[in-house]
Amino acid sequence: MAAICFYFQVHQPYRLKNFSFVKIGKDHFYEATAQNVEILNRVSDRCYLPANNLFLKLIKENEGKFKISYSISGTCLEQLHRHRPDVIASFRKLYETNCVEFLSETYYHSLAALYSLPEFERQVKLHEKAMNNILGVKTKVFRNTELMYQNGLADILDEMGYKMVLAEGSKKYLGKESSNQIFLAKNQKTKILPRNYILSDDIAFRFSDPAWSEFPLMAETFANWLHKIDDSTGSINMFMDYETFGEHRKTETGIFEFMRHLPAQILKDPNFHFATPSDLLKIKKPNAPLYDSPAWSSWADEDKDASAWTEDNMQKDALRKVYALERPLKALNKPDLIDVWGKLLTSDHFYYMSTRYRSDPTHQSFTPYNSPYDAYLNYMNVLSDFGGLLGI
Amino acid sequence: MSRTKVLMLGWEFPPVLTGGLGTACYGLVKALSKYADIQLIVPQANRNHLIENVKIKGLNYYGISGEDAVEVPEIPLEEYAKVHNVPAEFSNPYPVGIGFAKEAAALVAPEAIRALYSTNEPYGPNIMQKVATYAEVVSRMALEMDFDVIHAHDWITYPAAVKIKEMTGKPLVVHVHSLETDRVGEKAKGEWNKVFEVEYKGMLKADRVIPVSRYTQECAMEHYGIEESKFFPVHNAIDPAETFRIPNKSGEKLVLFLGRVTFQKGPEFMVETAWKLLQVYPNVMFFVAGVGDMMEDLKLKVLERRIDHKFVFAGFLSKTNVKRILAQADVYFMPSVSEPFGLSALEAAQFDVPCVISRQSGVAEVLPNALNADFWDTEKFANYIYGLLNYEGIREDMINKTKKDIEQLSWDDSARDVMEVYQSLGV
Repeated sequence: MAAICFYFQVHQPYRLKNFSFVKIGKDHFYEATAQNVEILNRVSDRCYLPANNLFLKLIKENEGKFKISYSISGTCLEQLHRHRPDVIASFRKLYETNCVEFLSETYYHSLAALYSLPEFERQVKLHEKAMNNILGVKTKVFRNTELMYQNGLADILDEMGYKMVLAEGSKKYLGKESSNQIFLAKNQKTKILPRNYILSDDIAFRFSDPAWSEFPLMAETFANWLHKIDDSTGSINMFMDYETFGEHRKTETGIFEFMRHLPAQILKDPNFHFATPSDLLKIKKPNAPLYDSPAWSSWADEDKDASAWTEDNMQKDALRKVYALERPLKALNKPDLIDVWGKLLTSDHFYYMSTRYRSDPTHQSFTPYNSPYDAYLNYMNVLSDFGGLLGI
Repeated sequence: MSRTKVLMLGWEFPPVLTGGLGTACYGLVKALSKYADIQLIVPQANRNHLIENVKIKGLNYYGISGEDAVEVPEIPLEEYAKVHNVPAEFSNPYPVGIGFAKEAAALVAPEAIRALYSTNEPYGPNIMQKVATYAEVVSRMALEMDFDVIHAHDWITYPAAVKIKEMTGKPLVVHVHSLETDRVGEKAKGEWNKVFEVEYKGMLKADRVIPVSRYTQECAMEHYGIEESKFFPVHNAIDPAETFRIPNKSGEKLVLFLGRVTFQKGPEFMVETAWKLLQVYPNVMFFVAGVGDMMEDLKLKVLERRIDHKFVFAGFLSKTNVKRILAQADVYFMPSVSEPFGLSALEAAQFDVPCVISRQSGVAEVLPNALNADFWDTEKFANYIYGLLNYEGIREDMINKTKKDIEQLSWDDSARDVMEVYQSLGV
């Protein structure tokens, strides 16, 4: 019985308002509230609500045989809780079906795992708490921001009680092994669930590309591809942004129709079933292959590494400066300021500063800025003001 | 297939340079000579600035014999231009406010023609006489020359070019390095401004128009109503150059403004930007290299804002001194109201100086890694300069990316684009 594991990432950052240098020392509120609420509403109406409703329907229609999983960042959860309680309610309904798992991540969708272990642990715990408080969910499996992973992360997560973590299934990290199976981390304990990036990207990116040889992709065709995968004990893991449905791929592309038919098409072959990461955790399989990523891997771009967030001088400078505030800030013991700082750690801010991928349409579709330079300068002005608040 | 024979009409040409026109013309002609046979006629030729395989004729040698000779044509001179004189107090090197009383008549006597084009001033108060004489002399020279296409650079050569087209029926390409609407704004459309009319007529009669940027194409379409199908924008380029850096030991950061101090270059927006920046960040000096008719006005505004101690007015700088100041500058600032291209920004970028430039400029199209803002948005300009002077992460990223952008530019590519324009005319 091969398993099909779907996981969708739900995330919205707190975008910064236009913060000119004249505001430094004078204005201490940084969020582009109107813009953030506008985008949240748009994505809720186009994606979160219709997709939640569709998946709820599919779970009922298939009598519990259709299963999916989500990870919702703390910054998104918080904004939904404040502005879109209807979306929160629909996620709760999904959870109540027992066919939906919610995963754990860093509260601020941050790169803390790369820069500060204490902050990483703080954010994971904060997220666990928020998931429990707002959705009544207890998380068991971890996924890091942008699926960033390196061997050392497994040790930290193991200490925190996590038995499984999601990661990118690029050949770079799997060697000759197929991605359609559960791997073992270098610590020989933690299980790694690798993303089948080809099948994932077929849905998340190529689906609406008229130049793609498989365009237009039908659910039946896609299910046939899965059925041909000859690995009866494996797990085919398709991970993508939830915003794929209705936001990145608009309704008119037929993405909802595709998903509407997909579960039934997949279940036509009795050798296939849906599973959540926790279901897969129960599978006992000796001699699982090793997942080896000595440096940071991620699910992004061609290189499947962290370079889109960390490689430019601007990114390095901004990251160094914002993480340098951790000690003095935590010494002050002011939770409000720590929360403001946490929002500045959200990975999106650094992604907007990437010059390397500036012309990449995926990057362009995310950034609210005209250029990576605008993103950096705006961020640095905010950080200058924030540093001033701390007396730094 | 035989090589295309081009009759090229230019105005500024090294060593006579006041702006980008001569530099761009030189760069393009040199690269184009690889693909086409070019005969170039300019008001003033200089034997130290020749180009291999290009026949350059200067009207400053008109009617004399010898190797620089420009033969006196057989056809007698006749009056051509119905344009007007310029007042003598005229101080903008690029003419504005053309036309008060007298009409400019073309000169006839060879020695008078030579004298007209032997001064160091390519424009000046008698510019319309120079233009009229150029049109007369050159159009008659053209009758005795063999060429397939006429290619004219900026309005000063358009009357000649249009006349040659009318006499020979050869296709006409006009190259737009700048427009009167760039130089003087809405005033260009005043009834007394004959330059606007000359430009309009030139573009109207032309078979193809080559603006130096998409921005200039938009200006020509918006202000002159020239139809879109005529345009083939070709960006200027820059030849690789040896550059260097000189450590700035003054302790103050240096923001450089390099160009004519005229309406077009937006000096008043520089003052506003400086004032806003200096409120927050006083450790900076604005270095103004250039002269122009708004110089006194600029100095007055700086005084009014009480920031005169933060400005250096260096006047017109030699090429060597321009390089020296570029080598020390921390930011290159070009707040132009309307800049068809802006070659000096490329020079600054070559010297690893991050550029803060007006969005109303052509060069912004080829420098995606410069910072740009609308020319009136002085807070944004100030914010950019503040960031460049304060945050260490940005400078290197901008410089490295800009280096690659500049490597993409070559006069050879521009020349090939121009060849395509010729080919589109069937020549």
